[in-house]
Amino acid sequence: MSIVNSEPAPRRKIRILIAKVGLDGHDVGARVVARGLLDAGMEVIYTGLRRTTEEVVRAAIEEDVDWVGVSILSGAHRVLLPKLRKLLDESGASDIRIMAGGIIPQEDIPELQASGVSKIFLSGTPIAEIVNYLVNETAHA
Amino acid sequence: MNIVKPSGTFSPASSEPGSNVASESARWQQEVFAPAAAGRKDRKKFVTDTGIAVEPLYTPAHLEQNNFDYMRDLGFPGEYPFTRGERPGMNRTDPFVISAYSGFGEAQVCNGRFKKLIEFGAEQILVALDLPTQCGYDSDHEMASAEVGNVGVAIDTLADVEILFAGIRADNIKRIGTLGNSIGPIVLALWAALGEKQGIHWSRYTVNLQNDPLKEYIARGTQILPPEPAAKLASDAVAWCVEHAPNWSPMTVCVNHINAGGAGSSMGTAIALANARHYIDLLLARGYSIDQVAPLLHMFPDERHDFFVEIANLRALRRIWARMMKEQYGATEAKAMALRTTVYGHGQEALAEPLNNITRTAFGTLAYVLGGASYVYLAGYDEAVSTPNENSARVALRTLQIIANEHGFTDTIDPLGGSYYVETLTAQVERQILDGLAQIEQIGGALATISTGFARRVMTEGAVRRQRAIDSGDRPWVTVNMWSQKPDVPNTAFRGDARAEERQLTRLAQVKATRDQKRVTAALAEVERATTEDRNVTPSVLEAVRAYATVGEIVDIWRRRFGAFVPSTDF
Repeated sequence: MSIVNSEPAPRRKIRILIAKVGLDGHDVGARVVARGLLDAGMEVIYTGLRRTTEEVVRAAIEEDVDWVGVSILSGAHRVLLPKLRKLLDESGASDIRIMAGGIIPQEDIPELQASGVSKIFLSGTPIAEIVNYLVNETAHA
Repeated sequence: MNIVKPSGTFSPASSEPGSNVASESARWQQEVFAPAAAGRKDRKKFVTDTGIAVEPLYTPAHLEQNNFDYMRDLGFPGEYPFTRGERPGMNRTDPFVISAYSGFGEAQVCNGRFKKLIEFGAEQILVALDLPTQCGYDSDHEMASAEVGNVGVAIDTLADVEILFAGIRADNIKRIGTLGNSIGPIVLALWAALGEKQGIHWSRYTVNLQNDPLKEYIARGTQILPPEPAAKLASDAVAWCVEHAPNWSPMTVCVNHINAGGAGSSMGTAIALANARHYIDLLLARGYSIDQVAPLLHMFPDERHDFFVEIANLRALRRIWARMMKEQYGATEAKAMALRTTVYGHGQEALAEPLNNITRTAFGTLAYVLGGASYVYLAGYDEAVSTPNENSARVALRTLQIIANEHGFTDTIDPLGGSYYVETLTAQVERQILDGLAQIEQIGGALATISTGFARRVMTEGAVRRQRAIDSGDRPWVTVNMWSQKPDVPNTAFRGDARAEERQLTRLAQVKATRDQKRVTAALAEVERATTEDRNVTPSVLEAVRAYATVGEIVDIWRRRFGAFVPSTDF
């Protein structure tokens, strides 16, 4: 092994936590996205169902992720997403960004973005579109 | 009688009819079809969502290949093996039951909607419960925050059910009920107590429950306890009905969510049948006979991608059920072998241009009706994105009425029976289901599909395969991968009255303040004893419900006793 490493340091892979918050039990979309991002070379962790926002924040920090991707189809997004953003910020994890997917009305998107959610993907979005977004938006990727 | 054989070159007796068709259809395919199709791009992949290759033409040769035998494979409606229908007259004399699944916000508002649905012609109402109720949390629980009344109606106590059905007599409607998958004995007790409140004997109305907790771990996600005690509690509800209300339908074993989650309808049916066997085995172990138990169960098949597979799936499922009950369980009564089916008409509903979903769900529902479904629901065109409004709920009911009454769809029984294509698919789907069931038995049955991750793996792989087929265009989807349009999620998506939660909390507090607390405490103590002593919990739950104990108070006893489920983080 050579002492002098002339190779550039390998770029860190994008790390993302896919999360289900609240009581919504529909996680097919979350799992398909998780699998798609994994196939695209990202490091993906899934929380499993029915997590509190506090649990998601803890997992995001422990796993040192770049993104939290929240899947939500029960209509609780207007409460849970801003709460998640606030808790991340209060835990010193302002650098962890949030994207969300599921069933979210267009009318709610500006309000959610104003509260610090970076991006909303409606169900039916091709995986490639999500991959492109994350690659373009993640500083180190 | 002297039969004169026809003579000459046209004599049909001069060659074997089947093999003649086989060689002729091979000739047609090679010499006529193939040259015509050569050089043309396939429009799509001709393969069903369940993985069956679809041929350009079906002939009697396909029936011969499958050793088709009319009497063995089909028989007659209302007779073994019930392929052509589980009741003698089917839609001709005894049309499918026009059903509605509905629920949102508070009981009082929901009651108004139910009355409307009945006015529109709904013959059965299944109540959609909000997520806190389904997951065993009262509206004032921390986990219920932001979810009360969101995707269904909030039910904390019997008081809510009384409001929900005020002015709607339980015996004026063919069936009433709810899902209550993880709280089966509680919803059974609530609907039994409703009859008592309305002064209607249990034998005079019919309650239908989903009460199928095992598929929650696999696909739907409202599980509360570990799977084993959950299945036991669900079977408690069925056992109570065997004793007290044998005319009820306290369990609907579901393919629906398992297929929708990615398993595909054939493997989904196999998993659901394994679940049904688990419940049945629990009930037989208590000393009931298969003839007592099987008639109380029915199934909820599902296929939303391929019209003809939908028809084949229902026909194959009835045949498999009949043979399983008779040959494996030794059932002797027809009603134990004749499987009733609940279906929920879907298609590939899209978020863009939602009115097109009316067409999709109508076709999807038509296939179920042609396949002989017994209880038929139809998804609202806006259901993928919101709780259906009154208008979309009415369109759904009217579509069912049109299918039941116009076009001659229901004039003759099993109209596609004998179709070369449908009979071939029925045999192929049957083989896929039986293969799946054999795989599940090999790993140890229903509980093993959960504990080994088998079901989850099958579903994720299927969901990823479906997503790729859509992304690549192999599975055409108008407005999504053809003529694609932006999704349109209306402002009303799962958003009720913001103050409904507040009012529900006030009502719950009032009920708690005015109920006979001594009676509640004693009743809950008895639920706890029945749970600990492994008795049927239903009688004690019924007493607790009558005393206005809350759903959460009862479920907490089970949480303490059995612990909570551990969510899987696999994907």
